[in-house]
Amino acid sequence: MSTPGIRETRESLRLCAWCLVAIGAEIGFYLSYRGHDARYHWFTHFFVGGSVALLVMAGVTLRTRRPVPLPLLWILLAHAFAMIPDFLFVGGRVHERWMDLFLGHLSSHYVPGRNLTWYVVFLGCLATYLAALDHGRTKAAA
Amino acid sequence: MSAAAPTRLSLVVVWVGAAVVLGSLLFVAQSAEGALDDPDQAHQRPGFLDEGDLPAAAPDLPGDALEGGRPAVVFFERPRRLETLCDALADDDLDRRAELVVIVSGEDGECAGARLVDDPNDELAATFGLREPNDGGPPVGYAVVDSDGRVRYRTLDPHAADDLEEVTTIVTAVP
Repeated sequence: MSTPGIRETRESLRLCAWCLVAIGAEIGFYLSYRGHDARYHWFTHFFVGGSVALLVMAGVTLRTRRPVPLPLLWILLAHAFAMIPDFLFVGGRVHERWMDLFLGHLSSHYVPGRNLTWYVVFLGCLATYLAALDHGRTKAAA
Repeated sequence: MSAAAPTRLSLVVVWVGAAVVLGSLLFVAQSAEGALDDPDQAHQRPGFLDEGDLPAAAPDLPGDALEGGRPAVVFFERPRRLETLCDALADDDLDRRAELVVIVSGEDGECAGARLVDDPNDELAATFGLREPNDGGPPVGYAVVDSDGRVRYRTLDPHAADDLEEVTTIVTAVP
């Protein structure tokens, strides 16, 4: 039987491994967009996908009163979902209006302020998720 | 929450760290845009047809360079970069899918199956609605015209010669 200390260490290592997977995948996504001279698009879909993921994560955290498992993986998956039309484009399919279903894949590029706006929105959503974590922590302490 | 729940300070550090790292990356990426890129990247290579006020009737070109009846790609290029584009077109079969026209100042004739149209005053790109690049010079990019003579796609793209597959994807989508 493992002691609580060993269990926590294993849990931390598992979390770190998933963090590395998520960060590595994001770097891969970024390099693929950079290769196509499309860094701007990577940022838009990262901020939009990440914002949606963070809001969902905040909701789940408040409901369960526990941090979501593997948080970076949620952001990665939401980002990948927002990128699906770009995967299709590489396969030879031009973008169409209905592809806005993928977290506003087309129209998200045209918001006033462009990526700076989405950067601020992302930070707001991150603050919301972190506040939800803090809320759960203080509830548990009380 | 478990005993290992993050402290408020650690949450603040995460937020500030994310703000600094992502803000720095965004700044560096925006600073790396080139002289020939669109100042508003939202309009560069949007990937879908009929952006903004498109479709619109294609303007007439000198010598009736656009014959009609099949899709056409009209490239806008600068003289010192022309050879690269012609080499790329020679290695590609884009001319089998569309009529090709290259508009460039001080050149006419043909290159790799594309008709060269001299644009001595760099005026033609504006008639297609191409946007002004960062350096304020003549636009470098392309427009795609459908077989009915309507402009369906246009973008600045200084790297079009490196990625003609993307142009092919757009051409394939127009009637």
